[in-house]
Amino acid sequence: MTDALETLRHEVRAWLEANAPADWREACTSHDAFLATQRGWFAKLAEGGYAVPHWPAEWPGGGRSLAEQKIIYEELARADTPRLLLSFMSTYHAASTLFEWGSTAQQQLYIPRILEGEIWCQGFSEPGAGSDLANVKTRAERRGDVYVVNGQKLWSTMGQFADKCLLLVRTSSDGAKQAGLTYLLLDLKAKGVTARPIHQIHGDEEFAELFLDDVEVPVAERLGEEGQGWAVAQSTLSSERGLTLLELSARMRGALWRIADLIREAGREDDPGILRDFGRLATNVDATCALADHFLATRIAGEERVGDASLVKLSYSRTLRDYTALGLRLGGMEAQYHTPIIFGGGMETGNWMADFMNSYAWTIAGGSDEVQRNIISERLLGMPREPKSWTLEGAA
Amino acid sequence: MSMTRAELQDSARKAFGEGGLAANAETSWGLIAEMGWLMMAVPEDQGGLGLGREATGVIHTELGRALVPGPAIAQMLVIEALSAANGLPERDELLARAIGGEVMTASLAGSGATGLLRCVPDADRASHILVVEPARVTLVPVADVDVTPRDIWDKTRRLFDVRLSGTASGLVLAEGDAAAALAERLEGQLLFALAGDSLGGADAILELTIDYLKLRHQFSRPLALFQALKHRVANMKTWLAASEALFWSRAADTSAALPELGALKAHATSVYRIIAEDAVQLHGGIGLTMEHHCHLFLKRAMLNCALGGDSDHWEEQAGRQALNASA
Repeated sequence: MTDALETLRHEVRAWLEANAPADWREACTSHDAFLATQRGWFAKLAEGGYAVPHWPAEWPGGGRSLAEQKIIYEELARADTPRLLLSFMSTYHAASTLFEWGSTAQQQLYIPRILEGEIWCQGFSEPGAGSDLANVKTRAERRGDVYVVNGQKLWSTMGQFADKCLLLVRTSSDGAKQAGLTYLLLDLKAKGVTARPIHQIHGDEEFAELFLDDVEVPVAERLGEEGQGWAVAQSTLSSERGLTLLELSARMRGALWRIADLIREAGREDDPGILRDFGRLATNVDATCALADHFLATRIAGEERVGDASLVKLSYSRTLRDYTALGLRLGGMEAQYHTPIIFGGGMETGNWMADFMNSYAWTIAGGSDEVQRNIISERLLGMPREPKSWTLEGAA
Repeated sequence: MSMTRAELQDSARKAFGEGGLAANAETSWGLIAEMGWLMMAVPEDQGGLGLGREATGVIHTELGRALVPGPAIAQMLVIEALSAANGLPERDELLARAIGGEVMTASLAGSGATGLLRCVPDADRASHILVVEPARVTLVPVADVDVTPRDIWDKTRRLFDVRLSGTASGLVLAEGDAAAALAERLEGQLLFALAGDSLGGADAILELTIDYLKLRHQFSRPLALFQALKHRVANMKTWLAASEALFWSRAADTSAALPELGALKAHATSVYRIIAEDAVQLHGGIGLTMEHHCHLFLKRAMLNCALGGDSDHWEEQAGRQALNASA
């Protein structure tokens, strides 16, 4: 570790000692408290210059090297600060898509707003377009200077709290499914938008259903050209599979102490079976962190291959499942008693049943593990693609 | 590192690639010595290349990839021990001979035993045996020991039991605290080398398996089209990629402690075992034959799991360390 990095670590640690929110876990038992905590903490981080270390240097708070980012994330996890769930989509998905595809005017308008706390969500999935995302049916019809949008979106994380939405719509039904898609920036306060929260298996409502009924979106709010939506959406998704995992894997490493505490509480410090499971988990966490590091170095060097990000996501999602499953097992009967969840507590809250259920967010959302395995085998390993059409044997 | 990892990898892969899998032992050994790969980690003022752990990592992965026979891992342990023996008058001369390819070998079993050394590669053609004891590290001439061949399943390696006669003394390379520190370093180096060998082998057999799945047709389509098989292969690739990333990060981390290198070894050998096991399954009947190369990887993978302390041991150590780290 170089002196400069050590200095940064001390800086961040000292800053966190003075600024990290205390008792937020106890407070976050309602959505209102969650929103207040998230908004307050984001504003404070932005002021301290630690909210968006992964952004390019021309934006305030950006321009940190990977090594610096890692230190910031490790310290944030170490100080047990809330993860920025509410602004996750804004600072990662929306920002990175705007950096890559936004016009100068769009960037100048939206990037500062994100820093001021504007909340974004993603409107990609639909009832008929989950893993098969190109099957999007929500229609956008051009009428003069606006698109008129009709349809339904599903699984929009934080959709019920958001101001803006990254929206994937169909502008044409001709040719390949992918070629008819267009990417819009939707104002969720626009007339005709209804957001309905979805009640999840752990009791929280982290995502929403969006109903779009003759919603008008100005043509100026389009990212990329008409028909380029698929390519723009890929850049949004690859941000999720790549950059975010550096932070998340560092968070998971920072939370290994929760398992250690459980082992001690249960008096099983000398139980070889438990030690082995914990040792294997800790090594898998280290390996996932190393893989995320390696992936980002590859991306920065311009040597990223299609499928590399999927390796990181799959490694993370499986290790997170192992982490929460070991906690649940060690938690024994105690973990079976219902405990109110902490809204926005993240994946490592110590409420093991809730954490375990929450880990599905990473094996299903953002492209399920199965989709990642398709990408890895087909794109990275050159195995043949799934046939485009199929018929059921014996069908008429 | 004056030579980049990619350059070194490229030259090693080319050199070993010419001999094919599990090439002739003598030719391979000559090549290893000639290319200077035994002196990678030796400091420059001792006639070495001073390239450190990352460079030896490249050599070990390439040795594993081509299933190269011979005592390279053991020889590098001897060279490391000699390199540390600053007070020994014969040091430079012995070091030069070892770097040049005169076989000097050591146990790959892991934790030290007195009297009987097990899993010593190529002891029958060695001039010296390294003996690592808690308070003393010595180099014993082969004339002072009894060497018994042990036939093992993995035919790419030749292992021996070595019994020290009561009077064997040998040259003292380190004593007391220095010996304990050296012993720990050697054990870490062994674990790292076995991890590298395993990851090279795992990568090679995975690639061969994917090639086979693309080639072999059943039900009028390549096996590689079946999603059940694609997903299995994708899982293997993911585990391997994570293990490789861990390997190179620990290679660069000079402060990595023994349990961390042990955890790496457990991870890498487990990945190798899983991939080699499934490779036989995915090859079907042909994978069960001696003519096919699958079994060579499977047997070397199983041997690597057993050498240097097994996963049960190292995962437990890693668990203890992680527990203490958050005390």
